[in-house]
Amino acid sequence: MEKKVGIVAGSISRFDNPRHTLAEEMCAEAVKMILDDVPDLELGDFMKKGYACCYSYFSDILEQQQCMHWIIHDYLGLSAVPAYRVESGGATPIDAVVNAALWIRSGMFPAVLVVGWEKMNELPIQKVNEAIAIAGDTDWDFVSGFTYNAFYATMEARRMHVYGDTEEDLAEISVMNHNNSLENPYAQWPAQHGFGKITVEDAYKSRLISWPYRQYECAMTSEGASALLLANEELTKRLTDNPVWITGVGFGTDTMRAGDRPDNPAWKGLYPEDEKIWPKSVPKPMSPYPDLCNFGSLRVSARMAYKDAGIKNPRKEISFVEIFDPYAGVVLAGLEDFDFCKRGEGKDMLRDGVISRDGELPCQLSGALTAQGHAVGSTSIAQVVDSYWQLSNQIGKKWGAPGRQLSRPKKAFIHGHGGTGCQAGVTILEA
Amino acid sequence: MKQPGPEKTIKEKKIDEKWWQDWERKGGWTPEGWKIVEMNDGPTLNSLKPEKFLVVHRPHGSVFHHSYGKVSQFFMGLLEGKLYGTKCPKCGLVYCPPRAHCFNPKCRLAETKWAELPKKGEVHSYTIMVIAWPSMAHLQPLVGAMVRVDGTNTCLPMTMRDIDPEKVNIGLKVNIQISKQPKGDLLDIYATPAEEPVPPKRTPEELKRFREDMEKTRAWVKKTYGKVVS
Repeated sequence: MEKKVGIVAGSISRFDNPRHTLAEEMCAEAVKMILDDVPDLELGDFMKKGYACCYSYFSDILEQQQCMHWIIHDYLGLSAVPAYRVESGGATPIDAVVNAALWIRSGMFPAVLVVGWEKMNELPIQKVNEAIAIAGDTDWDFVSGFTYNAFYATMEARRMHVYGDTEEDLAEISVMNHNNSLENPYAQWPAQHGFGKITVEDAYKSRLISWPYRQYECAMTSEGASALLLANEELTKRLTDNPVWITGVGFGTDTMRAGDRPDNPAWKGLYPEDEKIWPKSVPKPMSPYPDLCNFGSLRVSARMAYKDAGIKNPRKEISFVEIFDPYAGVVLAGLEDFDFCKRGEGKDMLRDGVISRDGELPCQLSGALTAQGHAVGSTSIAQVVDSYWQLSNQIGKKWGAPGRQLSRPKKAFIHGHGGTGCQAGVTILEA
Repeated sequence: MKQPGPEKTIKEKKIDEKWWQDWERKGGWTPEGWKIVEMNDGPTLNSLKPEKFLVVHRPHGSVFHHSYGKVSQFFMGLLEGKLYGTKCPKCGLVYCPPRAHCFNPKCRLAETKWAELPKKGEVHSYTIMVIAWPSMAHLQPLVGAMVRVDGTNTCLPMTMRDIDPEKVNIGLKVNIQISKQPKGDLLDIYATPAEEPVPPKRTPEELKRFREDMEKTRAWVKKTYGKVVS
């Protein structure tokens, strides 16, 4: 079995809303950048040398187009080349990367091109929200009167009650994300709002959406595309002298409906250490981890990836983190679910500055979903690309912002998830 | 072998066919308008140039004929003002939302039994929607609560009425109400407080911000719909 999977190149066609440019054109822009970076790669090689493509987009409804990847694949001049689409809600792009890495490990394909995109400006905004919300159970969640924002909001309200997360914590995450995006030429926030820093007061002034979440604490809806070229060890070394390796992948799941999590026999006893952490003042459900406070699928995917990458102490070994944060509170929950701290202590990592740009474990350097943007099928691929550029010392070249290059980072942790944490994936990159 | 059909209709509230046909004709992909726009575009903010785009306005609609399958009893119950759940005969877990098969891994997908449930529950968590679905926008600010129906092992999401959004909290006992004109979906259910609510702790700044947000929302509803509901 091929163990090592290399990243040969990565690219992003920037996030914005609207882009107007067609999905296939944005994908072509992204793939063109990969071809520019890898002069020895020919599109004709894909068929001749047995490469494959793995596509990532979330919704057939947003663009009124089923099998959009057939259009993309054809547009790129790759007809005949083996390919399929991965779809798992918000986890689509991270699962596409995981899938492509496993394809290469299987020995079946020497190289795999991963391409992801989304177009989210075609429908009126409430219909966009609807297209996202029907990834919830349409009989039992969607028609309850809850918006999708509302489900995440109830989960954060539960965290506030059980752990003491505060409105200020959520605003601080939003400030961190937005200000991290300001030098990112692929980010939607500066494209739309300019290049000035924001403050906690600005976050408080943004409109309330579903308490406790305000607009600046929620993901943007975006259009954009991104691409990654993965290859086995031998081919990676042949195509680039600056490779980064995918050394760990993982994926996990939880119930479709968040409401089914408090007393779930499938989870009881899975993580006994976490079940012990529970305040006396709150009645303890049958399966206290994850309940509605945490995201169990994130835990499953992270532990799988750590085992795969041989990581024993994630907090020490990981240099920086990109969390998939459609809502600010997911950063706090994620830090706990990924074993960077004990459950309930995510807020302390934030308050102590650990996850800030110059902290011990920088998070959301791209600006993530609230500021880089959230063109769903592209989102995590772009976060992987940003992280790949960090690890290969290319931020100066790719962002035009050498000041944002971390000093010799070793390992990056990139997470994605879908639904209310119904599905999650992780990739671990090493320089 | 036997044939399963034909299907017999036992009771029906008919869809207005003419209304649907009018909608279907309008929602048939034909552009109802267009615009030509100019905007800078390019793959990065360092490579923008002006481009022109044609945008068409293309409507599309449909009606789904959706069966509730083996959990239809729950929705038939709503039509009669009753709340039903299912119980696993093996492990005793009680589901509302109901499942026709138990999801406890030990029970090997055992078939569950129906049980009428009390119309009482407790708030497991909550939110206050200041942007609700368009059909419920007149109810903003609208409390959404994950309600654990008494005696069940699950939470059912529903909206709340007759509650000050400032006072809703985890642990609040609620009564579950079923609409007097049920339509046959989960929106027929909502909750009202069954006890005097104890509000969550808020700092003075948080409380001030919260009240301003609620006032803004109520003012918008009044301006848009003419009166403040709830």
